[in-house]
Amino acid sequence: MAQIHPNEHTKSLVRVRGMSKAYGQVTALRDVEFSIRSGELLGLIGPNGAGKTTLFECLAGVQAADTGEFMLEPGNTKRIRRSSVLFYVPDGIAPWPDQPVNWALEFCLGFFGGRRDLYQDVVRDLSLSGLLQSRVGALSKGQRKRVLLAMGLLMPQPILLIDEPFEGLDLRQSRDVEAILQMQVSLGRTLFVSIHQIADAARVCDRFVLLSNGSVAAEGTLDELTALAAGRTGSPPPSDFEEVFLALT
Amino acid sequence: MASRAWWLFLALIGPLVGVSFISAVNTYAEASGLHGTAAGVGEAFSPLVGVWAPTFSACELAAVFLLPFVAIRLVAGDRQSGALKLELQHPMSSLARISTKASVLVLGWLIASLATVAAVALWKSYGGSIYPPELATVAFGHLLNAGLIIALAAAAASVTANPSTAAILTLTVTVGSWILSFIAAVQGGFWERAAGYTPTSMVAEFQHGLVRLDVVLIAVTLILTGIGLAAVWLRLGVAARRRAYESIALLVLAAAVMFSCTFARASWDFSENRMNSFSLADEETLKQIHAPLRIEVHLAPEDPRRVDLENRALSKLQRIMPKLQIAYVSATSIGLFEQSNPHYGEIWYDLAGHHAVSRVTTAEGVLETIYSLAGITPPESDENVFRGHPLAAPPRGAALVFYGIWPLLVVAAMIFQHRRNS
Repeated sequence: MAQIHPNEHTKSLVRVRGMSKAYGQVTALRDVEFSIRSGELLGLIGPNGAGKTTLFECLAGVQAADTGEFMLEPGNTKRIRRSSVLFYVPDGIAPWPDQPVNWALEFCLGFFGGRRDLYQDVVRDLSLSGLLQSRVGALSKGQRKRVLLAMGLLMPQPILLIDEPFEGLDLRQSRDVEAILQMQVSLGRTLFVSIHQIADAARVCDRFVLLSNGSVAAEGTLDELTALAAGRTGSPPPSDFEEVFLALT
Repeated sequence: MASRAWWLFLALIGPLVGVSFISAVNTYAEASGLHGTAAGVGEAFSPLVGVWAPTFSACELAAVFLLPFVAIRLVAGDRQSGALKLELQHPMSSLARISTKASVLVLGWLIASLATVAAVALWKSYGGSIYPPELATVAFGHLLNAGLIIALAAAAASVTANPSTAAILTLTVTVGSWILSFIAAVQGGFWERAAGYTPTSMVAEFQHGLVRLDVVLIAVTLILTGIGLAAVWLRLGVAARRRAYESIALLVLAAAVMFSCTFARASWDFSENRMNSFSLADEETLKQIHAPLRIEVHLAPEDPRRVDLENRALSKLQRIMPKLQIAYVSATSIGLFEQSNPHYGEIWYDLAGHHAVSRVTTAEGVLETIYSLAGITPPESDENVFRGHPLAAPPRGAALVFYGIWPLLVVAAMIFQHRRNS
């Protein structure tokens, strides 16, 4: 794995080492290693089946990793509960499908101790006003995605893991969500998002973790990865991120 | 909790209790002389057996065939919808989470049990007699049974990946316990002892006003084990192998606790007619016998004489004589082909080296033999016997309450809840 992280230890909020996960004979994650820095929008890039969701679920403790270290604020010796610093927003779920959207959001606020002061802003920014009385189970894929994003944004944790934030959204909604995510980062929140559309990722993220067949192929900013790709292929730097990705994976 | 499955369960339990109550009250009234029928006597007029046991049996049906789906919906539904992935990120322990859900389900059961409260109110309005201790015993038995079903469904929903599998597993266990009772009736021995702790047997004893400490302790242990198993398997963030080891350890511990619970002998007869006990005078006399008593019964498990002997004498004797040892001897399950054996049908008594053989299976006959062996004069017959509470009243208004008002109230509550949420 190629890694470019000049001041990693001074900036790292989370460091992951040697994380592996297998489902029987199928290896989903193999010795995954990367870091998440404070206040960045980190993209987890990889094709379908690369292990992005498995990695997120192992990080969030929703499923067990076979091996691996998860260090919060490396160097900090205090024991910190993982759930107190990060919250994972899964993709493709319809939680509490019989309940209306406002119930689900209120439940999240109450159960997880979410930020009630953000409620009105989040509902407005994600255009959820017209959906509050609808049952979660009756929403379209895009509507459900917006509700899930709202749940994540209302959470108090400083790090948000969002699985495929643009999945199911139309162009206008994708742009709106993109702006919301960037605003969250500007407010000091750290976002780690998985994206399988490489063009979307290039536009949104500050830094990238490239995942291929369960392994981290490279980690760095777009410029760093471009230089790495050029060095690896021995040809002029690739013109776009898709070429960089193909060269490194 | 307020899912469609729950509302359907709530809507159905009213008519279910209603059918049982109306049928029981009609039969009770006829036995009491309604429409010119000949009145029965004595114990036949115990509301415990005549009204409450059949009325509450609707709760048993609901617990076996409806409640599991509500419980599975609450536990497995979150896993299926993905809500569990969110819930697991809360620092709350999985034991606290599943205990909370189980408590909500028990609360739901108590709300559903209001149908039986309506039956009690109706019975009182007809002028029926109510003996609170026996009524409370029946209700407690059904609450324990519901707790068992909830714990079983929660464990099944947590261990299996989807609700259908959980439902099949739960029904397999509940129906399997009926099969165990059937095998016990045929085979006797160990099977009979094991079947004594199935939910069906447990409920039957409570319906007769009997509370046995060993049965309560084993039921509570099973409930805690089910909740514990559910808590173990809901921790998706823990490796499956570790969860499997923890489950095995929990099951071994539960088995050990249950085995030790079988030695608890205390029991209480809360029935007004003391149907699980000898008369007070006989009990006082039997308490004077301190030597160990061994009774060897040469009757097959399915022989009606053995059933009579067990129900009328031995079960009562076991409650009052801790040093009683009972052994059954038979070569077949029904005894039909053992009649040629000269000893078949005999009951051998051994009290401190004194032996007696009898073929009498009535309580009076058994007591007479024991008193004779112990050299004790039988007590005077107790004049204070239960005379029954006949009531020749038809179930007026019950159909309206259970088939009309109850479903309407449930629908109204559902609409109210839906509007409040939205």
